[in-house]
Amino acid sequence: MRAETSIRETVAPPTPLRAFWDSFSQNRGAVGGLLVLIGIVVLAIFAEFIAPYSSIEQFRAFSKLPPAWVEGGNWAFPLGTDALGRDILSRLIFGARISLFIGIAVMVVSVIAGVSLGLVAAFLGGFVDSLIMRVMDLILSIPSLVLAILVVSILGPSLPNTIVAVSVVYLPNYVRLVRASALGEFSKDYVIAAKVAGVGPLRLMFVTVLPNCLAPLIVQAALGVSNAILEAAALGFLGLGAQPPTPEWGSMLADSREFIRSNPWIVTLPGLAILISVVSINLFGDGLRDALDPKLRRS
Amino acid sequence: MYLQDKPLLMIKFLVKRLLLTVPTFIALMFVTFVAIRLVPGDPVEVRTGERGISAERLAYFRHELGLDQPVWKQFVDYVWQLLHGDFGTSLSTSEKVLTEFFTLFPATLELALAGMLFSIIIGIPAGIVAAVKRGSWFDHTLMGAAVTGFSMPIFWWGLLLIMLVSEGWGLTPVSGRIDMIKFYFEPVTGFMLIDSLLSDQKGAFLSALHHLVLPMIVLGTYPLAVIARMTRSSMLEVLSEDYVRTARAKGLSEFRVISLHALRNALIPVLTVVGLQVGSLLAGAVLTETIFSWPGVGKWLIESIARRDYPALQGGILLISSLVIIVNVLVDVLYGAINPRIRHAG
Repeated sequence: MRAETSIRETVAPPTPLRAFWDSFSQNRGAVGGLLVLIGIVVLAIFAEFIAPYSSIEQFRAFSKLPPAWVEGGNWAFPLGTDALGRDILSRLIFGARISLFIGIAVMVVSVIAGVSLGLVAAFLGGFVDSLIMRVMDLILSIPSLVLAILVVSILGPSLPNTIVAVSVVYLPNYVRLVRASALGEFSKDYVIAAKVAGVGPLRLMFVTVLPNCLAPLIVQAALGVSNAILEAAALGFLGLGAQPPTPEWGSMLADSREFIRSNPWIVTLPGLAILISVVSINLFGDGLRDALDPKLRRS
Repeated sequence: MYLQDKPLLMIKFLVKRLLLTVPTFIALMFVTFVAIRLVPGDPVEVRTGERGISAERLAYFRHELGLDQPVWKQFVDYVWQLLHGDFGTSLSTSEKVLTEFFTLFPATLELALAGMLFSIIIGIPAGIVAAVKRGSWFDHTLMGAAVTGFSMPIFWWGLLLIMLVSEGWGLTPVSGRIDMIKFYFEPVTGFMLIDSLLSDQKGAFLSALHHLVLPMIVLGTYPLAVIARMTRSSMLEVLSEDYVRTARAKGLSEFRVISLHALRNALIPVLTVVGLQVGSLLAGAVLTETIFSWPGVGKWLIESIARRDYPALQGGILLISSLVIIVNVLVDVLYGAINPRIRHAG
């Protein structure tokens, strides 16, 4: 059986997707990361059906319960309850939805803006290029969290403003990446051929050149999601992100800081949730990079 | 290249890089200027409180603060003040922002340097060993740890270490830079480790060191992960180069090949990464200082927001970003000094 399959595979050249998967699936860390990530996504999408309680329902009689397996725990609340008697497991599950939403929203906003600005900078060159790149230099010169804090203090703390702030912070990465790879492509023959054939500037930018810059962009976008989750959690921790009673992981941590001595698990669990999701996305992203970017493969 | 050209080229390169930062500085001033005007709340109202004041008083205050001038004039005045070292006055303490910043900055610098040193001292050797023993259990463990460190929410990491090391084992203090009840001395350098040694008070240095350990680890974790990964991959690349094979073929010992031939070239990209960490160290300092009540500029910045002290926020952001820009230029120049290819391309 085995010999047969391998013969067939050598006869038909693997499709790009197949080649990608072959390379990706060899990386055990990446596959593990992907599986955990899928689990988190499922939790986030079906939070209403999976979570035992609502994220804001308060069981005053059961406040600050430890996890069920610890002495004094109660299996009605598997991971215990917080100071207001809210079920921590439920809050973590609903929190997954918020964190993933922030991560993906930031990624989408900064990819769209970054790709447009990067392509325009590379395509127009000259003054526009310098202007865009100097602005990006400026954004990069302000430490990420400080910049996010500045944006939030102008706009006011809320979930949408967190997304805006973190998107601004990560914009330069995409602009620089797209500009650099687009500049590399513009001098190639196929672009010149397209120009000669009379392709308009917009089509040239988005249809001819962009697909050839995608590999590094996809990798950057995957890692961008995890960075955004971390940054948003940090803002939440400082009280500048999503506002209570939103079950955002960072603000859950901030709320529980005073119980660090008496009820350490209330502090431990939200952080663990952040760490697990960020690690799984980063492992997945590393696998993507190895599989998509042959230059960096197996380094 | 001729040897006598070298200093001249370096100076040219330095001047060119410095000139390139001028537009960035102007833009930075513009952004902080605009930002402070976008912040909700009129600066006059912030000062006068909620009771309100008469129309003449309001006009007087607006005149006093220069708010009755056209906006372009206000910007020119603002830049003029900045160029004369006037970064505004804090609303909550009525102190000059510049004075406040530089009173607190040594604490942040000490923490950042300690974190950087921690990450370099552990990260570079660990990365080298992982590359040399590629595929070993050490390599796998280190890379696993690096991904974790890289993904660590450092505010949680700090709380976790406080719970374990300070609360659980009682090994380190929870907050501050030194035991303020037992020790007091005037700051000389602003670096607690040095000042405590200079003070000649028994145990002061140890107390300062105890206070520094946890914040240092927390702040150093992210750069440690980045540096270890970078050193490993850069070392792997260099080890497959021809000149390393030549060195081996000459019969040099493995130690000499790695430490002399490979390491020198492998460290060039690592140096850039170290330089680029300055920004993320300062961002990390905001969180670390908040968790450990470390009296530095990061904690001060967060408190300024809470107090709606916008001049302090504006001045602080301007000063921190200027530092990052300057350090980045220095890193560039240093990079040019050890890697001539960059100098010529620039």
